[in-house]
Amino acid sequence: MGQATLYSVSYWISNLIATAIGSILPAGARTVVTSSDVVTGFAVLIFAVVILAASMLNTIMLIWWERKLLGRFMDRRGAMHVGYAGLLQNFADGFKLFRKNTVKPREADALGFYLGPTSYMVTSLAIFGILPISSGWDTGALPLTLLLALAIFSFAPLFIFISAWSSNNKYSLMGGMRSAAQMIAYEVPLLLAVVAVVIVAGSFDLNTIVYEQQNYWFWGPLFLALVVFVAAMLAEMERIPFDLPEAEAELVEGWNTEYGGMLFAFFMLSDYLRALVGSILVVLLFLGGWTLPSWVPSAATSFPLAGIFWFMLKTYLVFGLFVWIRASLPRVRTDQLLRVGWNRMIPLSLLSVFLAALLVTAKCLPVFGCVPSPGI
Amino acid sequence: MSEMWINMGPQHPMTHGLWNLRVRIDGELILDADPEMGYLHRGIEKISEDRHYNEVVTLMDRCCYVAGLAWEHLYVLASEKALHITPPERAEYIRMMCDEFQRIGSHIMWYAAFVQDIGLMSPFLYGMRDRDLVLDLFQSFSGARLTYEYMRVGGVRNDLPPTFTGHARKILDWLEQRFREYDQLCLGSAIFHKRCDNLGVLKANDCVTHGITGPMLRSAGVKRDLRKDRPYARYDAVDFDVAVADGADVTGRYLVRMEEMRQSIRILRQVVDWLEQHPGPVMADQLPRWLGAPYAPVGREGYLLKRNYAKGVGFSSVEEPHGEAQAYVVNEGSEHPYRVKFRSPVFANLAAVRQYLVGYRVADIPPILGSVDVCVGEVDR
Repeated sequence: MGQATLYSVSYWISNLIATAIGSILPAGARTVVTSSDVVTGFAVLIFAVVILAASMLNTIMLIWWERKLLGRFMDRRGAMHVGYAGLLQNFADGFKLFRKNTVKPREADALGFYLGPTSYMVTSLAIFGILPISSGWDTGALPLTLLLALAIFSFAPLFIFISAWSSNNKYSLMGGMRSAAQMIAYEVPLLLAVVAVVIVAGSFDLNTIVYEQQNYWFWGPLFLALVVFVAAMLAEMERIPFDLPEAEAELVEGWNTEYGGMLFAFFMLSDYLRALVGSILVVLLFLGGWTLPSWVPSAATSFPLAGIFWFMLKTYLVFGLFVWIRASLPRVRTDQLLRVGWNRMIPLSLLSVFLAALLVTAKCLPVFGCVPSPGI
Repeated sequence: MSEMWINMGPQHPMTHGLWNLRVRIDGELILDADPEMGYLHRGIEKISEDRHYNEVVTLMDRCCYVAGLAWEHLYVLASEKALHITPPERAEYIRMMCDEFQRIGSHIMWYAAFVQDIGLMSPFLYGMRDRDLVLDLFQSFSGARLTYEYMRVGGVRNDLPPTFTGHARKILDWLEQRFREYDQLCLGSAIFHKRCDNLGVLKANDCVTHGITGPMLRSAGVKRDLRKDRPYARYDAVDFDVAVADGADVTGRYLVRMEEMRQSIRILRQVVDWLEQHPGPVMADQLPRWLGAPYAPVGREGYLLKRNYAKGVGFSSVEEPHGEAQAYVVNEGSEHPYRVKFRSPVFANLAAVRQYLVGYRVADIPPILGSVDVCVGEVDR
């Protein structure tokens, strides 16, 4: 079978199921069920389900990872009691939220109140459909994956604002306002930092960007872009020090104050889905994705699913950095945040674009070696 | 957004207790502020009139739930003056020890809550962990961790256990190290200075006008500390400095409280040394019979007898962790006080909220009010 890819695996499963179903059907129906169109369509469905399950599972594990790490930073143990080392704690929490009644405030706008969290969740999940997690483990060669991922990623402020406004709560409204202002301010440096990567890699395709990092990972030559990207990502993910929209000290819970039960779980899960996407993007754009440097012995990359292993390890470590920041920094104020965003981050990101262009023009760098292929 | 009033409280994460802050805002800008208190009023002053002198001590613990021993001290000082009783010297030193450890405990509690208000998560846990050590110490001699009921009119309930001095010194050494870490986590952070410098400024003049005391007053550069200015217990016998800062802002209040904890450690070292070398009685002799029994007060029927003891009036003021607390006790010659009146420092500090809140942003409310160190138990009593 050569190298197992997600698509080949799901096609294989789909084929097995189609053959099994076809064997108990009459001959006419059997040809329909086992026809290549049906099998392919079925394979895509399996593919999507696997992606959905994997991203949800990883999100829940990410919450566990954050709770454990935060616990260690705070000199405590984090969740300990449900499952081994609290591994099942978040499943229990999720189940509790699932069982709870969803209460809509009487004066809240029903359409926006329900549409907001649901769309937020759906768009956050949709990004996973196009992110490659290892070589061959993706939906295939879309030329503009990175652009599409960031486009879907930036839907969020709209839905947050819809749900905040329709909650008919002053705190929610203020949180929604802050969220919208913050995300607009940070969308620009985020995209400009990505542009720096795109200039060096010469492609908007995430697979290509990863393969362009075979000689050196981009975090070194594009360090400035990495810093801008991580800071902007923190603001986009609404994590401390940029978690003003839900600053619990003054805004109770910010834009999700009025939400409870499963709708709250949607917000919570989406936040972590977005955190996962953020960490994955950092790994893909700057840390070489699933590849390892060439001096690493080949044994480290030759075991089954090695690519996914290294990729997940890097992702969790990057998220660990976010948790570390959360554990040790206070929260900034809205006006300070916006000032930093417009006055500092945008010039810095422009500078990083300029440096990237220089790098491509120079072709080779004394420390980092040569750009493998000419850029745009 | 047009101007609107929002209610921050009585159930709001910012309030640290049961009170309501109404603010009029325009977008993020605060135009007006109005404190509403009284949600936690339990009528402690009125209840005290129907209690045996030593039973009021129990109420004092409920007065301020993070500085119970300081309030006990305040009350027993006033009662002793009203009842013409002089406590033994060792009891006074023990009370000083309680006061200072309580100050450390209360300030650590403040630190934990305050850093949470500006979004720092970990130091909250560090603070709560270190405060536990102080509570352990309190438990070792009073048997309780929050409501101690340890002081008595005429002394303290029981002497310290033999392990006390070693235990106390260990905690002091440990805490001294921790305070360094606290400072690194706050003062070492640029974001902390961004958030807290020049915030909630209340100059010395305004502080005096509004009767503001404690760390808030000292952060404005006023060197006012009752332990120095009007020494009670044996504060005249120990060596310490009054912590002052000159910013009159949130950072200044932070600096004052941290320095106060260091000074408390300095005082405690001297007090613990003294306590080690000077054993002795901890209750005054020649107490009235109904006051003398530390563990078993006389039955309730005793109160009904009309007796004529020497009448008197007692006033005391104590530098409580939050500011200057005052008590006034009127003794009309029966077993229970005729009238008890307290002055809560936090009440005055909170009542002036409009003076240091207007003109700042909504996001500044938690750090500013966090720096006030609100303890609603004593505000409402």
